[in-house]
Amino acid sequence: MEGIFGNLAIGFIEVFKLQPVTMWGMTLQHVPFNILMCLIGCLLGTLIGVLPGIGPVATIAMLLPVTFNLSPIAALIMLAGIYYGAQYGGSTTAILVNIPGESSSVVTCLDGYQMARQGRAGPALATAAIGSFFAGCVSTLVVAMFAPPLAEVALKFGPAEYFSLMVLGLVAAVVLAHGSIIKAIAMVILGLLLGLVGTDVNSGVLRFAFGISELADGIGFVTVAMGMFGICEIIANLEQKEHREIFTSSVGKLMPSKEDWKRMWKPILRGTFLGSALGILPGGGALLASFGAYTLEKKVSKYSHEFGKGAIEGVAAPESANNAGAQTSFIPLLTLGIPSNAVMALMIGAMMIQGIAPGPQVMTERPQLFWGMIASMWVGNLMLVILNLPMIGMWIKLLTVPYRYLYPSILLFMAIGVFSISNQPFDCFLMACFGLLGYVCVKLGCEPAPMILGFILGPLMEENLRRAMLLSRGDPWVFISPSKPISMGFLIAAVALLAIIAAPALRKKREEVFVEET
Amino acid sequence: MLRLLLLAALAAGPTLATAQVWPSKPLRLVAPYAAGGPIDISARLLAAKLQDSLGQPVVVENRPGAGGNIGVDLIAKGPADGYSLVMSAIATLAINPSLYPSLPYDPLKDLRHVTLLVQVPNVLIVTNDLPAKNVRELIALAKQRPGKLDFGSGSNGSTGHLAGEMFKMMTGTYMVHIPYKGSAPALADMMAGRIHLMFDNLASALPSIRSEKVRALATTTLKRSSFLPELPTLDEAGLKGFDMTTWWGVSVAAKTPQPVVDRLSAEILKAMDAPDFKDRLRNMGSEAPAIRTPDQFASFVASELKTYTELVKRSGAKAD
Repeated sequence: MEGIFGNLAIGFIEVFKLQPVTMWGMTLQHVPFNILMCLIGCLLGTLIGVLPGIGPVATIAMLLPVTFNLSPIAALIMLAGIYYGAQYGGSTTAILVNIPGESSSVVTCLDGYQMARQGRAGPALATAAIGSFFAGCVSTLVVAMFAPPLAEVALKFGPAEYFSLMVLGLVAAVVLAHGSIIKAIAMVILGLLLGLVGTDVNSGVLRFAFGISELADGIGFVTVAMGMFGICEIIANLEQKEHREIFTSSVGKLMPSKEDWKRMWKPILRGTFLGSALGILPGGGALLASFGAYTLEKKVSKYSHEFGKGAIEGVAAPESANNAGAQTSFIPLLTLGIPSNAVMALMIGAMMIQGIAPGPQVMTERPQLFWGMIASMWVGNLMLVILNLPMIGMWIKLLTVPYRYLYPSILLFMAIGVFSISNQPFDCFLMACFGLLGYVCVKLGCEPAPMILGFILGPLMEENLRRAMLLSRGDPWVFISPSKPISMGFLIAAVALLAIIAAPALRKKREEVFVEET
Repeated sequence: MLRLLLLAALAAGPTLATAQVWPSKPLRLVAPYAAGGPIDISARLLAAKLQDSLGQPVVVENRPGAGGNIGVDLIAKGPADGYSLVMSAIATLAINPSLYPSLPYDPLKDLRHVTLLVQVPNVLIVTNDLPAKNVRELIALAKQRPGKLDFGSGSNGSTGHLAGEMFKMMTGTYMVHIPYKGSAPALADMMAGRIHLMFDNLASALPSIRSEKVRALATTTLKRSSFLPELPTLDEAGLKGFDMTTWWGVSVAAKTPQPVVDRLSAEILKAMDAPDFKDRLRNMGSEAPAIRTPDQFASFVASELKTYTELVKRSGAKAD
């Protein structure tokens, strides 16, 4: 424990260090440069988080050359700030206009937007910010205290374990829906099928690409999410001949009530825990964490009938989870030198350019860098909550902007965002197609959330299933063999969940839960 | 006749003019992969350098897809005015032509290769608990347990995969290829001991080698790497002539005027000789290439294309 405080002290000293800075030929003494970089990162992150479709990967890539002239620590502090800042900002758009600002805030749309419709946009935004802050603080501490042992846990997850986890996730996906269960299953399967498009990892064969080279790498997640949620929402809104629902007149209070506090602290705790755990695993991170937390909350909450209709738990849990996941996804990077997602891969690039080989030796060879970065995450989270809470009032003003001005700008930003990922106009057309598909689905009473989850999990599941089978030389028992207790545990949990969903005795109760919103 | 001449003059005019005042507008440098990889990063480093020396903005444009083919095709079929550059690599120029049955461009005829920027060796790494301590013992182990050893790679048809196939062919052993999505997850599975060996890019493997999470047995190049001078090459270890280096450089459309190519080549070489740029490329595991002129680069590409066409055919690797 004492070691930890000593290390954190090194980190905080590094973050708050005053240093001379030369800019435009002027040299200033005693500038808190690292903390300034943290602030810039957080601000930028919030901004790109709010803008739908524009994500941290494109932003960090564009900023990489700028960081070459900074010290390694300042560069990494800023880049990390962009990443977790984006997780904060992403919920704002989701809550206010029902369009995920960031891919990990897809589930926040479900209940956050409903809260806004009920005139509770303020509490929803505050809940997201507070949940994110709490989760950020706790998970930063987790990173500081348990990074090396947790990295060992991450290594325990091989193809078989991943596959079983995905099976559990897929079964849980059905729970995400609040309408008909058959339709939910159909949407999950549709998502799985869409996930198959692209080059097969094992054989290199191109599937369902119809000779379109832009589909060779599959359909982008952002494209699907922006289409199914963003464009679809805009079409649905424009459909109304009268005015778009105006909920600005009843904006109400900005801060959560006592009742809200009482209802949100447990989901925040659970979300933080789940997010921290899933964030460590390479591949999923923040995105899976938010879906997982929402599903869990819907199962355990006594307000589960309110989910999808503006339950505060449905905002608190996923927002805490995605921020916790964003922080703990630094663990494999810092301790093993293995990136768990595209942003972390960029961070590795930034480190290597600076001459730092990422990996376990960073902690011992460059303690200032390692602990400075961890301390900066905590400071950054504090900055973000201070920045975001007063901004809530300003964001809500956005709702008073007439929709005829608001929606073209949202469309524009979504198109820019989707285009910026691979600079392909094709992706924008694809987004529009998914918008239409989303609209048809809404008309048919099918919800997009289970489809999105199927779309994320499908390719991962297939890849890991086939890799596990390849490694076991075709022996299917590898998933439930006693030598793989983690995998076996997940599969048992999946079967149990399936039984709960399917059991006749419980069906009646379930129908109450899943009753169609009319 | 006069009209024809006039037309010809008009047609030739802009080309000549372009060459003289080049560059008079911003350049674009296409990186045919997603942002963040080593090729993308070196593109951004180079763009910053060229921007200073050419006095025009150089914009990096990521055009990922189809193993890099989409981005390269864009430049191969684009205007040959010297304003469109592409980061071409071993994958798009030497491996993909035989991997993809319907490659839209010809790597030798549609492109003019300007400068070879980076050469990174691959290293043969094994898990720590594998009993083989050197290449000879590994070959013996693979012969003793045919089909039991697994080797991972970043993707089907990657240099890591092909190096493994080459190893199998030269040693007459049989090991199973386990493809991953990128070499990072493969490296993670190696640390956990789920796969046995890998022919990974030096830059990505180096941290794990230094922290002793995996063990390096040899490099795949003819010369030892200056990063791990004590490590033998596969050639020294008995696999005579084993030579496999990952490389990438800058190419333009084939019909780009010679003066532009020359100027571009000179500016890129100037950047490569600048100490800061050199250091940063070295941080990515690159040894400064001995190949410097456009013509040397072009004949290098031709010989690599020949080598890998043969290798891909013999290994049976495929992509659609």
